[in-house]
Amino acid sequence: MTASTVTLEASSSATQRRPRRTRQAWMVARRDLAAGVGGRRAAVAVLPLVAAVLLLAGLGFGAHPVVVEATAAPLVWLVVLLSAVPLARTVAADDAADDCWDLLRAVVDPTALLAGKLAAQWLLLTAAWAVASLLTAVSQGVTWPLSSVAGGILGALGLAAVTTMLGALLLSDQGHGSSLLAVLVLPVGLPALLAGGQLAVSGVSPTPWLAVLVAYDTVLLAVAWAVFPVMVEGS
Amino acid sequence: MTRRRRVERLLGVAAVAAAAVAGWLGLVVAPPDAVQGQAQRLLYVHVPAAWVAYVAFAWVLIASVGYLIRRDLAWDRRAQAGAELGVGLTALTIVLGSLWARPIWGVWWTWDARLVTTVVLLLSYVGYAGVRGLSTDPHRNARRAAAVGILAFVNVPVVHFSVLWWRTLHQPPTVLQPASPPMDPAMLTALFGGIVAFSLAGMWVGLRRVRMLASAAPVAAAAPTRSEPIRVEAGGRR
Repeated sequence: MTASTVTLEASSSATQRRPRRTRQAWMVARRDLAAGVGGRRAAVAVLPLVAAVLLLAGLGFGAHPVVVEATAAPLVWLVVLLSAVPLARTVAADDAADDCWDLLRAVVDPTALLAGKLAAQWLLLTAAWAVASLLTAVSQGVTWPLSSVAGGILGALGLAAVTTMLGALLLSDQGHGSSLLAVLVLPVGLPALLAGGQLAVSGVSPTPWLAVLVAYDTVLLAVAWAVFPVMVEGS
Repeated sequence: MTRRRRVERLLGVAAVAAAAVAGWLGLVVAPPDAVQGQAQRLLYVHVPAAWVAYVAFAWVLIASVGYLIRRDLAWDRRAQAGAELGVGLTALTIVLGSLWARPIWGVWWTWDARLVTTVVLLLSYVGYAGVRGLSTDPHRNARRAAAVGILAFVNVPVVHFSVLWWRTLHQPPTVLQPASPPMDPAMLTALFGGIVAFSLAGMWVGLRRVRMLASAAPVAAAAPTRSEPIRVEAGGRR
């Protein structure tokens, strides 16, 4: 779907009234997912990265079951954090490259734009986590507890808020700004790495770590909701 | 002399006096630790530096929110000064902790949750500093820095609670606990002396830095109007 399609749908429905926020958010998310998966931009950026890191880690750690058991859970989350960096670049860079960022800002309510972009990032990050977990389980013979799924979903949500905000923030500085993404995204993803990693360890009580992730998500979603409209102003 | 400069000078004098008293308390009055010996005296500087760094990062959060609400670059300068102070003190905390750890733990560095999360916190605010130089438009820089300044604060509670969430080599909170601190009164006094001295010095440095940043600003940049994106009218015409 192109920006012109979005514009057309936005302006034609309900006789030039803006579509409701949920519909706008849905259209933005669908467009981002189409560009990310259908256009293979996000897929090409993330999947080889996930595979390469896991393979190199497996090679580096060697075939020591004790080491694998201790490192598998944080390794998965480290891979997800690393994936978040190229994914953050896709938040608005594709729109800017297609010269439709201003159009999107014009026709889409900022909250709906945030919701749509965040939903797409959430799905992509959850997919990166699922692929990393699956590859680790298959290659290292690790069994994940059920709580790791909750960790994956909740951790990806908080990270999606981070990548959406920072991706929009550094939109117009694809050179220097883009290189800063790693130093900005990785430290703020620390709670997801810690809590998500603990939730994937068998025998660890999940309740406190779920509480940490819920608090992390709540804070980041609230910050994103408050700050994103300011970020897209004149970006 | 303006009132602001007088306050600044008063703070400077008070900070020097408090530092002298804290030095006397820490080096002369407080006894050496029964187990750690003289190395324990480093904690009279390490702990206050960490506490004031937390306060500085909280100040960055408040000033960043202040900028986003008021769109006044004065708030941005306050946030920048707070971040610079916080980064400097966090780096000092890590270096002093490392100096203390070598004789006590036997290593300069260990993969302890408190140590690692503190360095990650430092990196967050180094990123904050990096965002500032991206644009020539001060308001755009301020907007970005404010967002990062708010986001980076997420790690402060993680650093604080890391010693409770994990069984770490770093000791859990000694002073901020429900029971009275299990410390010799002279040691506790020396610690509070250090905190007072660092707080006063931090305020003094912060105020001076804000003044320097204000005087370095070439022209008072007009606050941006809340610019609307390009409006697309019906039929796609502007």
